[in-house]
Amino acid sequence: MNHPKTPHVVDARYMEPPEPFVQTMEMLDRLQPGERMLLLLFREPHPLYKILRQNGHDYETELTADGTFEILISR
Amino acid sequence: MQALLSFENAPPFAAPLRFFLTAPAFGVLGGVLLAWFGADIMASRWMPATLALTHLITVGFMLQIMLGALIQILPVVAGANLPRPLLLARVVNVGLSLGTLLLAGGFLHSHPSLLAAGAGVLGLTACIFLGSAALALRGVPTTSPTIRGLKLAMLGLGGVVGLGLILALALVFGWNIPLLQLVDLHAAWGFAGWGGVLLAAVAFVVVPMFQLTPGYPARPSWWFPRVILGVLMLWTLAVLARWPAVIALCQAAAALVGTAFALLTMRLQSLRRRARPDVTYRYWQLGLVAAIFALIMLFTAAVSPAIVDNPRWTIAFGVILMAGAFIPFIIGMIYKIVPFLAWLHLQNCGQAKVPAPAMNKLLPDSEMQAQWRSYLVAFVLLALACLFPEWFARVSGVAFAVANAWLMLTLLRAIRRYRQHTVLILEKLAAR
Repeated sequence: MNHPKTPHVVDARYMEPPEPFVQTMEMLDRLQPGERMLLLLFREPHPLYKILRQNGHDYETELTADGTFEILISR
Repeated sequence: MQALLSFENAPPFAAPLRFFLTAPAFGVLGGVLLAWFGADIMASRWMPATLALTHLITVGFMLQIMLGALIQILPVVAGANLPRPLLLARVVNVGLSLGTLLLAGGFLHSHPSLLAAGAGVLGLTACIFLGSAALALRGVPTTSPTIRGLKLAMLGLGGVVGLGLILALALVFGWNIPLLQLVDLHAAWGFAGWGGVLLAAVAFVVVPMFQLTPGYPARPSWWFPRVILGVLMLWTLAVLARWPAVIALCQAAAALVGTAFALLTMRLQSLRRRARPDVTYRYWQLGLVAAIFALIMLFTAAVSPAIVDNPRWTIAFGVILMAGAFIPFIIGMIYKIVPFLAWLHLQNCGQAKVPAPAMNKLLPDSEMQAQWRSYLVAFVLLALACLFPEWFARVSGVAFAVANAWLMLTLLRAIRRYRQHTVLILEKLAAR
């Protein structure tokens, strides 16, 4: 799935936990330095945020009108 | 990779579990009280036994599970870490249980010192929880409607508890206050400001997550908690200033906003991607239909206040709102939270070397379905008891007690399996 922000997208909006977490971590493993990935969810993943911070990833979150949280994560 | 699944923010399983297991005991107690007093309890909302029953359910069951679940989910849905969650859970669980028993005893026997003691213990317990929650939420930016809802729900809890304390003291010391308006306001802060706003804040996360529905649109989600709290503040002002027309307006507004939320949730559920309706879905369907029914009753009472002169109207409203809406929402969520937590803790126990069993092995759907049917029977009988109390009040009390005992049994079975699997996993790890 392509998105204007990045071609690397995990659309986890209809996935059951812990699948969004697993797929995000797998995609982060595959990203090259400097690349960014986008996680789409209908909630803010605070446990994931904590792990991203611990692992030195930057992220920014935007809530869109339909209730999707777009979380842009740097490698 | 798997090791990352271990979620060190999560408090120990025992922290929320003690609340989830205590609450059904209060449900059983409530059912027994109804079976004992029969039709008398449904004669008026002001009967001592009715007041006792109401608080056994609202505080002993509802508040118990809500606070227990919050101790569990505040780190997950808001990134807010409560200090010493296990100790907090113990103190709050004991305080709520003791306070509810004292308060219900005080109502039942019209005993002022019991009533004051119950209100005091509950007030102190709520202060301890609110203090911890304020510490945890301090500095957490309001980045989602859920976080805004959680923060405002804490104000709602403060409001309902504060008004409850004032009412208890007024009863004990015989203060001359507008009792009827203040009791309605106490209920409004409890059901709308605390229960409703908390329910919405949590629903924004759990409905899409567990029922695989689309998300709640952002704009109404941001506004819902604010509008409810705004209406309640105006309602409070109107009670203080003795503006009956404004009170009715606030009541109607709260009913309309609540109905809009329920209809939106129904619409989202109709778009869910999970093909098979599970027990949580069924509980929530009952909850939403009953909530809309109760809110239409509230709206009707706001536009034609004479209707509440009929005591059966108020009793039916309370039964539908509590037994039809809030309790089903709560049980529906418990049936998602408990197996998920059991799975999560087993996953951590296995240290990524021994996999945890599937969630439906820990709490099979068939067991939840059986309990759901017992609850549905209880609710139908309770609804019939509102119409024909002489025939159905006692039997509905028995059915409600059975459904709650069944809930406790179902949860205990899940915990037993969790413990068995913990031992198995530890044995497998030791053998490696």
